[in-house]
Formats: sequence, C-alpha cells, structure tokens
Amino acid sequence: MSFHCIACIKAAALKAPAKGMKKNSDTAQMNPFDRIALALAVNVARSCGGMITALSMGPASCSFVIYEAMAMGADKGILLSDRRFADSDTLATSTALAAAIKRLAPFDLVVFGARTSDSDTGQVGPQTAVALDLPLVSGTFDFEWKNSFFLAHRKMDEFRETYEVTLPAAFTIHPSSITPPDIALENIETAWTKKIAFWSLEDLELRADQVGLEGSPTRVISQKMAARKRHCEFIEGSVEEQAEKFVRKIKEKGII
Amino acid sequence: MNTLLSEKHRAIRKAVRSFCDRELTPIAAAIDQEARFPWEAIEIMGKLGYFGIQAPTELGGAGLDSLSYVVAVEEVSRSSGAIGLTITVHNSVAVHPILSFGTEDQKNRWIPPLARGEKIGAFCLTEPNAGSDASAIEATAIRKNDCYITNANKVFVSNGGVADLCLIFARTDPGAGRKGISVIVAERGTRGYSVGEPEDLSGMRANPVCSIRLYDCRIPLENLLGKEGAGLQIALETLDTGRLGIAAQATGISQAALEASFRYARERQQFGTSIGSHQAVQGMLADMATMVDAARLLVYRAAILRDEGKPFSREAAMAKLYASEISTAVTDRAVQIHGGYGYSKAYAVERYYRDARVTRIYEGTSEIHRMVIAKGILEEYP
Ligand SMILES: Cc1cc2nc3c(=O)[nH]c(=O)nc-3n(C[C@H](O)[C@H](O)[C@H](O)COP(=O)(O)OP(=O)(O)OC[C@H]3O[C@@H](n4cnc5c(N)ncnc54)[C@H](O)[C@@H]3O)c2cc1C
Repeated sequence: MSFHCIACIKAAALKAPAKGMKKNSDTAQMNPFDRIALALAVNVARSCGGMITALSMGPASCSFVIYEAMAMGADKGILLSDRRFADSDTLATSTALAAAIKRLAPFDLVVFGARTSDSDTGQVGPQTAVALDLPLVSGTFDFEWKNSFFLAHRKMDEFRETYEVTLPAAFTIHPSSITPPDIALENIETAWTKKIAFWSLEDLELRADQVGLEGSPTRVISQKMAARKRHCEFIEGSVEEQAEKFVRKIKEKGII
Repeated sequence: MNTLLSEKHRAIRKAVRSFCDRELTPIAAAIDQEARFPWEAIEIMGKLGYFGIQAPTELGGAGLDSLSYVVAVEEVSRSSGAIGLTITVHNSVAVHPILSFGTEDQKNRWIPPLARGEKIGAFCLTEPNAGSDASAIEATAIRKNDCYITNANKVFVSNGGVADLCLIFARTDPGAGRKGISVIVAERGTRGYSVGEPEDLSGMRANPVCSIRLYDCRIPLENLLGKEGAGLQIALETLDTGRLGIAAQATGISQAALEASFRYARERQQFGTSIGSHQAVQGMLADMATMVDAARLLVYRAAILRDEGKPFSREAAMAKLYASEISTAVTDRAVQIHGGYGYSKAYAVERYYRDARVTRIYEGTSEIHRMVIAKGILEEYP
C-alpha cells in the first residue's frame, strides 16, 4: 500500500512578538509537537511505502520549517505564504490549511501535532478535519496497517483505544508517540537542494475575508512570556516515604 | 548573532546541538574523568555523518561545505572538547588528505568506512625529536620489492588508541632531507604495528591520544599517499584544513565556558545581589563574549574563503591562533567567575579550562603560527 500523508507543521514562536521582530529561525522553531507527528508519519511511510508532504502557513522567513521537515523525511514541502494570511486565528488557519489540503488531493492521512508550544489551543487539527469533512482520531500514538484496513491506536489519560479508520482521515498525534530521531547531516544538505512551493491566497481559491484578521472571529490582544514562579519544597521522611509523597504530589498536579 | 550563516547552516547547527545536548553533554564530565572513549555515542555519530562531514555522498559522506564543517565541530566541542578532537582530526587530517591526494582506488577503499565512522583515522607526524620542526622526523619507510619497510615512533597521536588507519609521515629517501619525506597509510593489525598506552593528559582525556610504533612493518606500495617525497607538502596542505577544525574546536569550548559563566553570574548571589550585577564581573563577561564572537568570525571567514575556492591558509592560521589564544583567556575567566567552584570538578568550567589549553599547542603551536603569519605578511611588504 502506498499512501500520501500530509503533515501540518507550524513555526512556533520562541519569543513573544515585539515590534519589528521577524519570525525566523532565530525567533521560532518547528513546533515540537508537530515534529513528533511528522516523525511518526515518516516512520509509517518508511514501513509501507508512502510519501509525505509537509504543509505550513507562515511568512517566507519561516520556510526553514519546511526544509527541516524535508531533512526529517518529508518528500515535498509547501508553504502558504501571503501577507493576507497574517494574523489568522485558529479558524482562519484551518480554513487556509483545509483549502491547501484539498488542492493536494488525493491524500490518505493528514497529521497534526497535538497542540503548539506557543499557543496551546489544540484546535487547528480538529477544525481542519471538520472543514474537510474528515474523520479525526485525536491523541493517536501509533498507526497499524492491516491488509485491508487501517488502525489508529489512541491514548488519552489512563485509556488506550484502537480505532479502525476509513481513509482519508485526520489525526492529532500524542506527544508520547515517538522520539523524533536525530537528523543525519547529509539529509540537511539534500533537503536544502530541493525546491519548496509557495502558495498564495489565489492558489487556494479563497477570498481575502476568509483568512487573516478579517477571517478570524478571535484575536490576540497581547502576548508576553509568562514569568515562571519557582519554589522549592522539601519532602521529609525515609527514602520510600519521600518517593511516595513525591509521586502523590506530581499526580495531584496532573503531571503524571 | 550568526549573520554569516544561511538557514541551511543554522539548521546544521541546530541538528548538531540537539544531538550533542542529548547524547554528549550528559556524559562529557564522566568520559573526561574516566578517560573513556564513548563508543556508544561514536557509533551514532558515524551513522549521522559526523565522520565524513565533507566527504562526497557517493563515498558515504555527508557532502557538506567547510562552513557547515566548522559549525558542526564547534557544536560538538561545545559539548565535549575531546570528542570535538576526534571529529576534527578524523575529518580534517585523515579523511581530507586521502580525498585530496589519494588515487581513485585508495579513495574507494578507505573513504566509505571512514566516512561512516566504521573506521577511525589518525595523523602521525610528531615524534619525540620532531615536534614543531616536522622536517626533523626520523621515521623511515624503505622500499623493498612490493612494500615499504616502515619503522616509526610516533607520539601524541590523537585517536591513536582507536584508530584503524594512520597517516604515517616517514622518510622514503633518508638522504634527501625535506624532499625525502612521504606519507604511508598504515592499517591497524599490520604485523609490527603497535599502540602505546594512552597519555595521561591534562585535558581532552576522552580522546585516546597514544603513541603508535611501527617495527619493520611491511606496508604495501599501494598505501603510499601522493608521490614519494611529497610528504611535507601534504602535511602543510592538510594542516591548513586542520587549523580550521582546531579553531572551530577552540571556539566551541569558549562558547560553552561563556554560556556557563552567564548562567552562573545570574544565579550566584553575593553582597545581596547576583554577581552578574557587579561591574567587575560584567567586564569579564563582556570581554569574553566579544572574544568568542571575534574568534567565530575569523573561523567563518576562513571557512567561507575555502568554500569559495580562494586561498585561505593565512586566514585559517589567524583563526587558529586567535581562537586558541582566546579560549584559554575565556575559560580562565570562566573559572574566575565561578570562584572556588570553578576550580572544582563539580562545575564544567574546570574541564573547559583544561581542554582549552592544548589548542594553543597542537596542529602548530601559537609561536609557530605567529611565525608563519608574520613571514607571509612580511613577504608582501618587501
Ligand atoms: C593532546 C595532543 C594531541 C596531539 N595530536 C597530534 C596528532 O594527532 N598528530 C601529531 O602528529 N601530533 C599531535 N600532537 C603533537 C603536537 O602537534 C605537538 O606537541 C606540537 O606540534 C608541538 O611540538 P612539541 O610538543 O614537540 O613542542 P616543541 O616543538 O618542542 O616546542 C616547545 C616550545 O618551543 C616553541 N618553539 C619551537 N620551535 C620554535 C621556533 N622555531 N620559534 C619559536 N618558538 C618555537 C614552541 O612554540 C613551544 O612553545 C598532539 C599533542 C597533544 C598535546
């Protein structure tokens, strides 16, 4: 079975936006959750002979995420880049991504990171699936290709679920799914010799009022780095008691 | 910060840093103390292309340019100077001369396993009586029938304890002085090839720097690299490239010391405030940051010239001289900023301080570099 997988990736901000600051490889990185989704897709593609398109929306200065995706194993890359896409919220972003994905048909899988490191909404994957009228399995941590059907294993809190999925379908990938492998130096060199496609509003056959600020029902008024408060707490008791108390504490906080 | 780097070069930096932060930084202190060569990390690095950074892809290399190479060496050295040494010696002074001076046959035979890190290379010039004066070497390789009968006592061989392939500088024509020196490739396992105990070094301790001795070693004629008598010319050309690597290595060690110092200066409280708010400490930090940037720019310039196919020998010498000199200055200040803790193995700056020191000595001492640089410039102003 050879399939086409589209991996949606975002250049996530590393710093809060400031006046005159450009989003580029110094101020942004491939969203770590998308890196996991892409790595899982690459694994599946390697094992059953599929091909992967990396898709991102952002200014041209963010094309580095597409090249990075190609260095990780994506076969081709597309950047949705148009001034009129600027300031899109999650809905407008999903509208643009859905239009691009339609243009990339036929496809079998569309994968998204579970969320982003810079806005954490987790909405873009599900919204895009809705816009495309695709079934969605969230929290997927592994795929399995049976001869005639496709299984998605899902992980949510304490539960594991297995879904039989009819393709094409969309998936958000669980952060614990896979550790993205290290990139071989040669692959970086090769990725940068490839051409990536830049698609504008016209290429997506969308109207200007469907994207950007105009197409966004929500807007971000301000964004700044959160000041993280650290505090130190001593746990008393024997080693076993300390371990017990520590585990209880991090469970209460929802860390595990 | 890295205005000279393209997005591709930044991606290389990012990929190397991410690998090293995860696989090398956590073991760097232990392999230094145990003087242990970390095969587990080396094997992964081989698969990722670190042993054939500039070797062509057809021969199993990563096919990158010199700028990528110095970026990668800097990043590896930022995590572990000793592994930085392994990488730069292997790439610059083993793989590179084989690619430059080897026949097609030799390249096809030696490069693929070297480029994949399945074999490790070493460069053997120094002898007990020939350090800065390479032309004083006493090793001999006398042609007899189908081989060179080679006798050599090579010391301070980086990677020596793990090397499979050694470039041996020896006299094929003992009467011919400087013109009688050639390069013979000796393979581990050849009868008469023996490896000494690792040197108990001050720094770079994870690198098995050893002596290599050849006693009546019969090395086939086809293992001659380049022409007979071309040894010193090969050495000089190779050291140009080697200097780039050492300069990048020194810069990586300096960078690590700089980052540690900034972190510590923010955290450490004295007189009711962080030590970083004391002007005297700020002065040190500012000087360190400026020196590291200047060194890096010199390294990049030399690498870019090389990529453009322009002469880069003097620029590489300047980069090596400056980057190594400032790396002792920077790591010295890093220890100073850490106070007593900086003199303890509890903090990494203690290792950086030891590791940095040798960069002023190997692949040409600072004094020899000054001589070479000055001589070249003086000749331009007759
Ligand atoms: C960790 C380590 C790894 C090494 N790895 C390798 C390797 O892989 N392969 C290899 O071949 N060698 C290697 N070396 C050897 C290194 O290159 C030599 O140590 C170096 O070239 C200096 O030689 P020397 O130690 O004999 O010092 P000497 O040449 O004896 O120098 C002693 C001092 O005299 C100065 N001096 C000498 N001649 C002059 C002059 N004409 N004018 C002014 N000052 C002068 C020097 O600058 C130095 O300060 C390594 C050394 C070390 C410590």
